[in-house]
Amino acid sequence: MSYKLGLIFSTTGSYAALGRSALAGAMGAIDRIAQRGGVRIEPVIRDPGGDPSAYEAQTAELLDAGVRNIVGAITSWSRKDMIPILERKGGLLWYPCPYEGFECNDHVVYLGAAPNHHVVPAIDWIAAQGMTRAYLVGSNYVWGWETLRLARDRLQACGIEVVGERYVPLGSTAYHHLVDEIIATDPDCVVNSLIGPSSTGFVQALGARDPGRGARPGHLVSFNQTEADLAELGRHADNLLSAGSFFAEDAGPDLAAVARRHAPNKEVSCFLATAHAAVELFAAAVARAGTDAPHAVFDAVTDAPVETAIGLVGIDPVLRHAALTPRLALARDGKFRVIARAECAVPADPYLSRQSAPPIERRPGLRIVR
Amino acid sequence: MTGIPQHHFAGLSACILHRSDDAIRQVAERCDRLGIRAIGSSSGFGADGASVADMIILDIDTGHDGAFPWAVAEAPVPVVGLIGSESPGRLGWALGQQVDAFLPMSALGNLFSALVIAHATFERRSAMARERAEVAHMRAGRLDVVRAVIALMADGGDEALALKQLRTMAMVGQTTLEGAARAVLADGPADRARDA
Repeated sequence: MSYKLGLIFSTTGSYAALGRSALAGAMGAIDRIAQRGGVRIEPVIRDPGGDPSAYEAQTAELLDAGVRNIVGAITSWSRKDMIPILERKGGLLWYPCPYEGFECNDHVVYLGAAPNHHVVPAIDWIAAQGMTRAYLVGSNYVWGWETLRLARDRLQACGIEVVGERYVPLGSTAYHHLVDEIIATDPDCVVNSLIGPSSTGFVQALGARDPGRGARPGHLVSFNQTEADLAELGRHADNLLSAGSFFAEDAGPDLAAVARRHAPNKEVSCFLATAHAAVELFAAAVARAGTDAPHAVFDAVTDAPVETAIGLVGIDPVLRHAALTPRLALARDGKFRVIARAECAVPADPYLSRQSAPPIERRPGLRIVR
Repeated sequence: MTGIPQHHFAGLSACILHRSDDAIRQVAERCDRLGIRAIGSSSGFGADGASVADMIILDIDTGHDGAFPWAVAEAPVPVVGLIGSESPGRLGWALGQQVDAFLPMSALGNLFSALVIAHATFERRSAMARERAEVAHMRAGRLDVVRAVIALMADGGDEALALKQLRTMAMVGQTTLEGAARAVLADGPADRARDA
């Protein structure tokens, strides 16, 4: 008996590097589970090419063809386009990417970092470094809007001034005016929620205009930068701070082998690791339930935590989110070095309803005037 | 509207009124994840149910006007109506109660949205009620304004001068025109002469 599993990742288009990394993780997991004699999974792969409208059509096509579970979507835009189809046709999406929170759909299992896993620890770290001025830049869609809104709230609660907040259209490379503004305002850090070519070009342009920035740890802050496309940023990514639920440094030999075999860049990333874990969770749930019917599978996966490539993962049966272990990492020479790691898995708090006030005590902004 | 509506509910309490204990449990679980303390009841309000809750989440299938210790459409806290049967009569009852937001039982995952909408609607409803009360109060004072103008004309001016004088009194006293008129009438001619 085999079970179909849809894999919808954009392996071409503007954010193909992330899609390729995630697909590599999912395919590696399917291979490894088959080698272990576990549940047989038949992957049904589609590539929307980064076109938001294609996600909807391909989801419908797969569900009509008898697929009931899908691992996929990278952007929140694509996930939100898939949800109405999943609702109408009774499918279940295993979403393996960090996202901005404020969602809890009955047809999705949220496996990526929620804002309490990325925005909150990253901003608290910025505050702990004594930074006082931040600049926010994001892609003009829900990921950019919401992550930067949360960042702004947290920064201001920490007493950090937001000297600018700008958005550019998804995929746009019209960011040079932002670089000018950043040079002029000289913030301590730039919180970057751009994605795809916008992010790559922006980081390179900013680094080229102001090479001295790279010497300061946390001069750039990201909530979704991974090893999947870190190399594209080159040396300008040095000392970039990224918050996430997994970095390559924590990968075991099996996951590293999956990356070498399946990932075009041979690197483990959070996308690769979480997509791998998504397939492991699906396989465990199907084995427990004896069916791939979405309701039964979801009930089964919430029964008990599952050992995966990213550790033991438990899913909240009400909020449908994974408990994850947040980490902060600094980039250097194309690699991430983890500088802080939560002691244990932290339940997702997608509505940030359980967050305490920032723990940072700000020093008064006074200096001796002679 | 460009502002961010109220969306932090942690520390608040909700009274869940539903005929089904299972429905109460489901809603209460979601409230718990949002940091809301839920008080469930399948038998209507307790003696202090309404007074202790910061919001009410109720089953509109079984709701009735007598279930609440307040007049129709005058709930003192935001109210979310849980839609079960979708019968027009029940929806009509809920609309008559001016329920602030609706949430189908099949979409409990969207409770957060319903709470945000309910709190924003309640705030707007409360502001409108305050505005209506103010307008009614002003209307009730129209005759006093006429009487005060006539009283002030006794000092020798015409009606335009008397009205201007009344406006000045309202401005100086930081009150409404109607309030100033009531003060003039309460003072009487002798006091006005002395005040002047």
